[in-house]
Amino acid sequence: MDGDRRNRLAALRTDIRRLERMAGPVRGRLSLGDPRLDSALPGGGLSLGQWHEIGGEGSEAETGAAPAAFAARLAAALLARPDQRGRSAVWILRRDDLFPPGLAGLGLPAERLVGVCARDEAEALGVAEDALASPGVGVVLAEVGAVDLTAGRRLQLACEARGGTGLVILRRPFGGGGATAGGTAAATCWRVAPAASAPNLGGLGLGPPRWRLRLARSRGGRSGAWLVEAAGTADEGEADVAHPLRLVAELGDRDLAAPAAFSAAG
Amino acid sequence: MLTAVSPQAAAAGLFPGQGLTDARALRPDLVLAEAEPEADARALEALADWCVRFSPAVAPDPPDGLFLDIGGVSHLWGGEAEMAADLAARLARDGLTARIAVADTAGAAWALARSPAAEANPRILAPGKAEAQPLAPELAGLPTTALRLEPAAVERLARLGLRRIGQLAGLPRGPLAKRFGAKVLLRLDQALGRAPEALAFRRPPTPWFARLDLAEPVSAPEDLARLCRDATLRLCARLEASGRGARRFRLDFHRVDGAPVGLELGLSRPARDPDRIARLFLPRLESLDPGFGIEAVSLQAAEAEVLAPGQSDLASLLEPIEGPEALAPLIDRLTARLGARRVWRSRPLASHVPERSVRRAAAREAEAGPARDGPTGGWPAWRPRPLRLLPRPEVLEAVIALTPDEPPRQFRWRGRVHRIRLAEGPERIGAEWWRTGIEAVRTDQVRDYYRVEDQDGARLWVFRSGLHDHDRPVRWWLHGLFG
Repeated sequence: MDGDRRNRLAALRTDIRRLERMAGPVRGRLSLGDPRLDSALPGGGLSLGQWHEIGGEGSEAETGAAPAAFAARLAAALLARPDQRGRSAVWILRRDDLFPPGLAGLGLPAERLVGVCARDEAEALGVAEDALASPGVGVVLAEVGAVDLTAGRRLQLACEARGGTGLVILRRPFGGGGATAGGTAAATCWRVAPAASAPNLGGLGLGPPRWRLRLARSRGGRSGAWLVEAAGTADEGEADVAHPLRLVAELGDRDLAAPAAFSAAG
Repeated sequence: MLTAVSPQAAAAGLFPGQGLTDARALRPDLVLAEAEPEADARALEALADWCVRFSPAVAPDPPDGLFLDIGGVSHLWGGEAEMAADLAARLARDGLTARIAVADTAGAAWALARSPAAEANPRILAPGKAEAQPLAPELAGLPTTALRLEPAAVERLARLGLRRIGQLAGLPRGPLAKRFGAKVLLRLDQALGRAPEALAFRRPPTPWFARLDLAEPVSAPEDLARLCRDATLRLCARLEASGRGARRFRLDFHRVDGAPVGLELGLSRPARDPDRIARLFLPRLESLDPGFGIEAVSLQAAEAEVLAPGQSDLASLLEPIEGPEALAPLIDRLTARLGARRVWRSRPLASHVPERSVRRAAAREAEAGPARDGPTGGWPAWRPRPLRLLPRPEVLEAVIALTPDEPPRQFRWRGRVHRIRLAEGPERIGAEWWRTGIEAVRTDQVRDYYRVEDQDGARLWVFRSGLHDHDRPVRWWLHGLFG
């Protein structure tokens, strides 16, 4: 009985490993800027050549500002890698409100960015697929309402074609009902919410933005939650995209349940 | 006054230019219609567009003529005579009477087309005859009116007994120009190929032209796709043979009812790969309305540039992974699918008004932008700018702010109350007075921007419009969101 159980467990483990391998080859890892963050991700960093889902919490699910800023930091760090020299980012929008000077302040240069405004959800996903499978594209940022399993699998295949990395920013229409995604084929699923920042050194103006980051799902890894700060943005005077994030605190589940605690802490 | 008469009326002795009373006296049962020169001009333009199926270079010659440059395309019909016959037959089928003439010069063709002999059959002047010395009898026998001269000049010539082109051509040039004006000499020279003539073509003439004629009209989507591929193959074979690639293509389907429907395609770099070009056209064919059927298709290429032989074949094998060349096929695909306005690159523009500080360039535009200063790519880093800019600022409600120039403490936007815990600013942005003139600038157009952070840490870009004024309530707006 005991041996039987052990055998079954071993068989299941092999299955899981095989399923995980089906997810496609990883083309390197992107450091998020802090070893404590990276260690939570399998392989010690965000896997490239795969696609990741970034959603917002609360009103951010509509405005998509904090998730987009987080994605822009990741994209900037990715494009700064030597193996991405000469490659571009493609940002696919449904609502045409992206402002490139703001992206430049986050370290994503406008001259390496191609903007696309899709007419509907299917077109946005189609363009994302096409861009991911194209040479010369390092990272594709797509703002869509939801990615179902089929679309996710197609995105993954497109990523594997040329090693492009996809960052899908979930954003629902203003006032519209939330499209809750069931399962997902993404390598990681992040939830980003803004957090109260620390005052700037010297007390004048605003310091770098802070985000409450929740890793809701990670293929082959564990979930987690952190309080992070954007490091090396225009707010700090000099742009440094090698370390996109700075860890401020690790959060437990209890902290997540009561986000009000943070606003008070500010 | 009569401007045009029907064949029956002409037989009864009526002629254009005749007074209405005279005409009525001659034929009391005359049927009259108001002359509509504008409608005639429009019809001529439409006919010029229709004629693109015969040659890409069509120049309307108001009020009643069309010039077609058929150099290099008549072989597609098997010769000039066959082409003219086809044109005549198609026009006749549409109920248009036309006189057609083919000659080496536009002037000679004009003259021949208006000779009585052209009424029955197209007149073809063999190559080299227009310039021939002595003058070919076909031209020498034509009246001087065939030279496109002012009526007054024709009259002056007639007074001296000069009624035929042959008589004019024999005269010494100096006295002819002195006596009758340089225009007469110029028209004579243009007809005889001694002086060049520039025609105003509806589309710039291009030697890169391919067309396919169909025995039976088609309208099925798969037939259109096949036509598109065949035309592309033909044109690309010619481009390949001459070692060129083109950046712009135009595909025209000619419908049975005469209305052409077309698609334009622009590429970021010259190409002649038929598969790739056809693939860019195919998804857009659905948007075309074939009407009652398509009877011909023409494809023309423009902006042809030298492309090293074999380069395109190599490129498909070893696609460059880096550089802007690598991105070009994707941008071409997206532009063809979504339209040029939906695919863009952003360029900094020297303006401090946020809405105007970004210029959208076509994504296929080459990288060469203005010199960039600093990592923010032309936008000064010390001015914080939001990640998202609302298309138009949204007004904030229930704003609590100290006057005259404190940032807001609390406001409501989209039904949510935002309590501000940190703020930065103001950054004052005024209207660009150099655009409109200093007198048009008013203080209520000044915007004071603040970057604020609310109780949740969300960062917003708000502004107060206008300077503080006791008589007027201050209005606050939200213009953008930081991440």
